[in-house]
Amino acid sequence: MAKVVVIGGGWAGCAAAVTARKAGAEVVVLEKTDLLLGLGNVGGIMRNNGRFTAAEEIIALGAGELLAITDWATRHKNVNFPRHKHAFLYDVTKVEPLVRKKLAGMEITIKLETRAVDVKKEGASLKSIVLADGSTVEGDVFIEATGSTGPMGNCLRYGNGCAMCILRCPSYGPRISISQRAGVEDLLGQRGDESYGAYSGSCKLAKHSLSKEIMEKLDREGVVIIPLPAEDINVGKLDYKVCQQYALREFAENLILLDTGYVKLMSSYYPLEKLRKISGFEFARYDDPYSGGKGNSIRYLSMAPRNNALKVEGLQNLLCAGEKAGLFVGHTEAITTGSLAGHNSVRLYLGMPLLELPRGLVLGDLIAFANERIKTPEGLKNRYTFSGGQYFQRMIVQGLYTIDVEAIEKRVERMGLTDIFNEKII
Amino acid sequence: MGITNCIDAGTEYCPCYLAETGECIMCSQLQGKVFCDCINWRGVCIYQEYIWNNVQSKERRPVHACRILEQKEIAPLVTLLKIQVKRTLARELNQPGAYVFLRAPAYPTFFDLPMSIMSADERAGIIEIAVQKRGIKTKYLLQQEGQKEVLLRGPYWNGILGLKYLKSFQKGKALLVVRGIGQAPALPVARKLLQGGNEVEVLLDRGRIEVDFTGDLFRKMGCQVREKELLKREDFTITEETLIYLRESFLQRGFGLIYGGGSELLHQGISCLLQEVERKVYFVCSNNAQLCCGEGVCGSCQTRLADGSRVKRCKTQLEPLSIYGGR
Repeated sequence: MAKVVVIGGGWAGCAAAVTARKAGAEVVVLEKTDLLLGLGNVGGIMRNNGRFTAAEEIIALGAGELLAITDWATRHKNVNFPRHKHAFLYDVTKVEPLVRKKLAGMEITIKLETRAVDVKKEGASLKSIVLADGSTVEGDVFIEATGSTGPMGNCLRYGNGCAMCILRCPSYGPRISISQRAGVEDLLGQRGDESYGAYSGSCKLAKHSLSKEIMEKLDREGVVIIPLPAEDINVGKLDYKVCQQYALREFAENLILLDTGYVKLMSSYYPLEKLRKISGFEFARYDDPYSGGKGNSIRYLSMAPRNNALKVEGLQNLLCAGEKAGLFVGHTEAITTGSLAGHNSVRLYLGMPLLELPRGLVLGDLIAFANERIKTPEGLKNRYTFSGGQYFQRMIVQGLYTIDVEAIEKRVERMGLTDIFNEKII
Repeated sequence: MGITNCIDAGTEYCPCYLAETGECIMCSQLQGKVFCDCINWRGVCIYQEYIWNNVQSKERRPVHACRILEQKEIAPLVTLLKIQVKRTLARELNQPGAYVFLRAPAYPTFFDLPMSIMSADERAGIIEIAVQKRGIKTKYLLQQEGQKEVLLRGPYWNGILGLKYLKSFQKGKALLVVRGIGQAPALPVARKLLQGGNEVEVLLDRGRIEVDFTGDLFRKMGCQVREKELLKREDFTITEETLIYLRESFLQRGFGLIYGGGSELLHQGISCLLQEVERKVYFVCSNNAQLCCGEGVCGSCQTRLADGSRVKRCKTQLEPLSIYGGR
């Protein structure tokens, strides 16, 4: 039986585990913290703009398990906020236990508090992953979904220092780039000024620390927009932000709050002192990152060169997913690359041709487009997401964006890919 | 080289001079690289500590002027020193592998001599050290008639390699193979193993110093002690009888950890034997680095490992088999 080792239990790693398991592999997920989903534990936005199209394509391809969970945990459907339409906001506090249960039910082995630090190789082939305690985990095919965020030294060199985000590096140890350890150099995302990395795009406030009026409006409508006093508007901060779909003037001129269980404040960080001067925020405090008044995690410092089937270049049996696979933003994007990498891990084991999703699907087009762009200097300064920015524009221009579920199902069917991720191939 | 640890990582003496010069043993950001590749994580971000410390190393270990409470020659070659220190320092030194640098106040810093701690009394603030008279430094340290004071720099902790095995070994059987002056630093080793609920047996060879000054102390702690000639007089390889005894101890008597407290030749002999024996036995040994500065600066303790990498033995917590296996 093929043994697939997934390194990193974020959304991408979980999605990869699901499709690898469905394709017939024995799967083990190595996760350094005590939670699956990684930064996804503080996410919450699905189906906004082109993510709706992507989510429905994923479901039609047969990898809808994780989306079923986020849809189930959704608190607000079809929310609109500046330049974003029909967003689903799920309750982040509900989702992780359900994902864990789902994976366990599929007999996927989850090893929490298990940090990968190195690889053992034979030629261009990985033999095993070395863990922090010196032990090893052997496998036939490996999927790296370690993300690109942190660790502390990077957040310090390229940001304002460790802001104590949900990844909790001081408690669980730093992320290690597995592909780099295997000898394949990482690619690095840049900001407009060509410095490296970018800030995570939002911070989370404890809901009950805000005024009753704000809380009630959030509970009712899912979104609250509060214009900022002119002296507090800092448009320059948008340049540093990961999420270019939210790096918009409206986001600098207003406090945009979304109800994701926490109050998601759509700003990388915001000094607490200033925040508390705004009416309704007098008692505000951060839940993620704890030092959201000072900084946020730094991302995009570790991408592997890969092909459109998500195999890492230069290594025979390593695939990648999530931010490791490119300058992607968001869970839908992570589930996209994760699902493909998981499925392809079994094809790779069997020596079958790897699946490349066609560019007639937004999923295939995003993966291929991001890969073209990452090879250009300007492309390294951009981010790729179905929900906005350059790529959503492209979706519209190419006629790929639709919220017609039936049309999406037909599109997938026409390409002969309906339920392909449900096929057991071993 | 795999995962290595700096003994000082995360202590109040970290980051050190090596961080300032881009030679940190642990942190890729402090090795001249500009990204984290933190395979040696020890619980703190050294780069962060460095930046928070205004981009400089922490204050170095102070030199304390300490009173010598007792200087007793117990054999022509061995003198026991009891030294009064601050209780904090005694506490920091009360662990296996701890050592300090000593020198007589009248002499310059290059007389500094690394000496292992034989015992440390945290309450009274007294440490005990056994000095073997050997060369210039030891002779000058001991010859001062009526000397009341000694200069002490410390604490240092890397006197033992394989510390992680020593700290995690529990409810098993451990064998201490000690020779000559190597008896002294084996006492804290025995104490640690006994605290872990282990049965401890000591094979003791008087060696060159021709005195057993620890046998009773081991027995008092609850160890079983056997006097045995460990090394042959002619070529300093392990005697046949000892080899047979060790092999039996591992294979038939269930010993799961061996501590070597002696010369490089003793450690090499143990290492060879462990590679033959078809059973996992943890190997811990005294760190016989060349006398050096203790700070990873002077370079005299640099050692080349089997894989070609070079390490500073005074600060790097190494796997003993990486030095003695296959070199």
